[in-house]
Amino acid sequence: MIDLNRTVSEKKNFFNRLIIIYAFFGLLFLYFLYKTFSLQVSSYTDYEIAALENKTREILVQPRRGIIFDRNGKILVNNVPSYNLIISPSQIDDLDSLLDQIQPIVSLSDEDIEYVNKNYQSRAKLNRELIIKRNLTIEEIAKFEIREHRFPGVLIDERYTRENLYPNLFSHSVGYVGNIDDNKLEEILFKQELQPKETIFRYSNGHLIGQTGLESVYDSDLRGSYGKKIYEVDASGKLLREIEEIQELDGKNIYTSLDLETQKVAYKQLNNRRGAVVAVDIRNGAIVSYLSSPSFSVNKIANGLSNKEFQKLLNDKNKPFFDRAAQGRYSPASTIKPAIGLYGLENKIINWDYFINDPGFFILPEDQRILRGWKKGGHGNINLNNAIIESSNTFFFSLAYKSDINELIEFLSNFGFGKNICVDCFLPDKGLLPNPKWKMNNLNFGWVKGDTVNLGVGQGYMSATPIQLAYYAALIANKGILNEFSFVQDSEETAKNNLISTNINDNDWEKIHRSMIGVIESPKGTAQRLRQLRDFTIAAKSGTVELVSTETKEDYKIIRKVEEKRDHAIIVAFGPMPNPKYAVSVVIENGESGGSVAGPVAIAVLNNLLKE
Amino acid sequence: MNKLFKSKIYFDQYLFIAITLLSIMGLVFLYSASQENFETTFKQSFFVIFGLILMFALSQLDPDFYKNNSLIFLILSILLVILTLLIGKEVNGAKRWLDLGLFTLQSSEVIKISLPVFLAAYLYDKTLPINLFHTFVALILIFFVVNLVRIQPDLGTSLVIFIAGVYILFLAGLSWRFIGASFGIFILSLPFIWNNLLMPFQRQRVLTLLDPSADPYGSGWNITQSKIAIGSGGIQGKGYQEGSQAHLDFLPETETDFIFSVIAEEFGFIGVCILLLVFFFILLRCLYLALNARDRFCRLTIGGLSLLFISTIFINLAMVVGIIPVVGMPLPFISKGGSSLLSFYIAFGIIISMATHKKLMQK
Repeated sequence: MIDLNRTVSEKKNFFNRLIIIYAFFGLLFLYFLYKTFSLQVSSYTDYEIAALENKTREILVQPRRGIIFDRNGKILVNNVPSYNLIISPSQIDDLDSLLDQIQPIVSLSDEDIEYVNKNYQSRAKLNRELIIKRNLTIEEIAKFEIREHRFPGVLIDERYTRENLYPNLFSHSVGYVGNIDDNKLEEILFKQELQPKETIFRYSNGHLIGQTGLESVYDSDLRGSYGKKIYEVDASGKLLREIEEIQELDGKNIYTSLDLETQKVAYKQLNNRRGAVVAVDIRNGAIVSYLSSPSFSVNKIANGLSNKEFQKLLNDKNKPFFDRAAQGRYSPASTIKPAIGLYGLENKIINWDYFINDPGFFILPEDQRILRGWKKGGHGNINLNNAIIESSNTFFFSLAYKSDINELIEFLSNFGFGKNICVDCFLPDKGLLPNPKWKMNNLNFGWVKGDTVNLGVGQGYMSATPIQLAYYAALIANKGILNEFSFVQDSEETAKNNLISTNINDNDWEKIHRSMIGVIESPKGTAQRLRQLRDFTIAAKSGTVELVSTETKEDYKIIRKVEEKRDHAIIVAFGPMPNPKYAVSVVIENGESGGSVAGPVAIAVLNNLLKE
Repeated sequence: MNKLFKSKIYFDQYLFIAITLLSIMGLVFLYSASQENFETTFKQSFFVIFGLILMFALSQLDPDFYKNNSLIFLILSILLVILTLLIGKEVNGAKRWLDLGLFTLQSSEVIKISLPVFLAAYLYDKTLPINLFHTFVALILIFFVVNLVRIQPDLGTSLVIFIAGVYILFLAGLSWRFIGASFGIFILSLPFIWNNLLMPFQRQRVLTLLDPSADPYGSGWNITQSKIAIGSGGIQGKGYQEGSQAHLDFLPETETDFIFSVIAEEFGFIGVCILLLVFFFILLRCLYLALNARDRFCRLTIGGLSLLFISTIFINLAMVVGIIPVVGMPLPFISKGGSSLLSFYIAFGIIISMATHKKLMQK
């Protein structure tokens, strides 16, 4: 009986305890079920995406960049295949031993190794590739390919780099490309609706974008559209099969109006002196030559320049990166004189028979200040024609003195001064066409008559870029009718902008042309030395930009000991006369004489353009 | 003699059908989890058939046979564990397998059955609730066996063996005061266990559980990928053999520890629930059988073994969804591995034997 009681109570105790544990596990399983439910049902979308991201890899396909041609169909910039050695850091366990193994096959510099070590971790986390060596040689490629199986996670990728066939000739006009940064690439891909967030870039620093010049201006045309390949991958990152492909679209080729041969001539002529040459076809405003000197090799920039080399270029006192053609500001100096003369004709202040006496200086009535011409003793009794040929300052001082400043500025702006006259130039400067309001705002002084008189000979506050000077020359050449400048023309473009509403008739234009021809052809012409050089009849106007104002030639001799203080040489020219086709402007910094220093460059360029 | 022979076949159709069903499901799952490896699946199906026969055979034996021979079984299995430590096959720095030519035996799988059976037999004729003396004797034995397995090292199995031993003591009426005191000591000695008993990789696993995102490509990889596999299965699953996590190698150990993740990925929440239902059915049947067992030995054994089963399932499931740290623990009747599979057929053979043999004369 006692025994039975004990058995019953023991049994009861056993049941209770077993049920306690079962209940305890029941709760645990409920928690497990809740956890599974939250993974599979509540957070399903997150995990579905995570699994998708795991098993797919989207690889960007770079379109081939458009080729840039000159006007005769010669290739200026091309794509050349380049082979890079790439690693996938996420697939590599021991970087150091891998590099040791690769070293005998593909030699790596300390700089390369440092770069890899620095970027390895971050790339591994992002599951991105890393370039360990660019531009492999054929030998290196061959050596690697035999041993490729030994290096999972290492591959050679073909990619196009940009090659400018004339790297120093088109540094500023065509410009250069550089590596696109991640943000910009993402922006581009976003616009193409390629969902950049989900794309794992093969390695973003291999993708190119135009940085300057036409490469930048026409970047979206040249670039084309990116494509994308979506692969299924396994956990090791191995590509198993292609799931989807979005075809890339190669960039458009660009046919420019640049003329390779002329550019070569201009480059040879400038010979690394500081300066610029711009030549245009006046019939359609097409830029045929565009050079800023000294230049630099765009290929070196695009394909990676060591920091030291880059700093050297950047700190070069001749500023090779500076685009003098579109951004250099120079006083037009005497080259402005035909425009001032045209202003006088337009406003009937003078006519062709209007003479003044030039004693070699002009006395400003307001303050009796004496403004001198270049020739001691002056040019005597002189009219507009001779004033242009001989470059009389006094004639234009007095003409400017009689002008209305606002009218004069309005008139000059028709020639392209103070505004952008180029459709596709890279960051063109507008130069400066000063007016009374500008002077008050910037210099805190009112406009005085002396300022107007100075403007009459292109000195003072006014400045223009070489493309503006070329535009000005082309406008005179084409008798006031001219298109805006461009490197690339629409073939259908025929509309021409008539820029000058006019009292000036065809006869006046011809007379201006004749006087500018006289600058070279007349025995008194300031650029008469060019007569021996020219193969065609050329109209021109030279100028000498005073950087430091001097009273006498002796003073200038002291000044010129410092090269940077010497006058700039400047010339605008067009030909062949009487039916001009091309116009050119040349600036040579500290070249001193427009006629004899800048002049030969302009003549050589025109000779080459016209010889065809 | 003749009468005795044809007297009875000892058979529990509920358990037998449920376990057979589970085994077949396991083979189906394993085929996909092994990347459609026919050889693996074929080998496993051989163990399944052998296991089912073994289970049936073992259930024919009288419980007294187990009770009387439990000490011999225990000593034999301890010897096997020691032998493993001496001449075992080393895989990944762990000596868990004994190469028997025909197949490699994981000796810890044997002792996890024989220890609770022995303890139940040991307590059969003692006064219950268990007194302090017998508690200590049992605990010393448990710690001895657990340690033998722990130093292989096989933390998962040693944990299960420990739990199985303690269940028996608990079911035998271990006093609540003793349980409370032990628990207190356990909490206090956690720093000691952390610093001295756990290996560095085991410590790392605990840390990973707390924050898997700390190193998702390193120590957090397994659990991160397991969660992605389970989560991306959704309600309906991706379809049989369609699990990308499993088939593209993102998921580790798909045939063993993480087979549940494959099931969850390919069959979804519905599949998970169906699998759990089969497990629950077996467990509830065990509970019923334990409550109706003929004597104390049978009660304790059925209780202990069924709790061993439930614990193994829970540890595996909790591990793959990230509730507990990663420990090597198969999912019973599903995961690849002959030793683990057979151990559960043996356990259920014993359970069925205890449940079906009624004493002719009830005391």
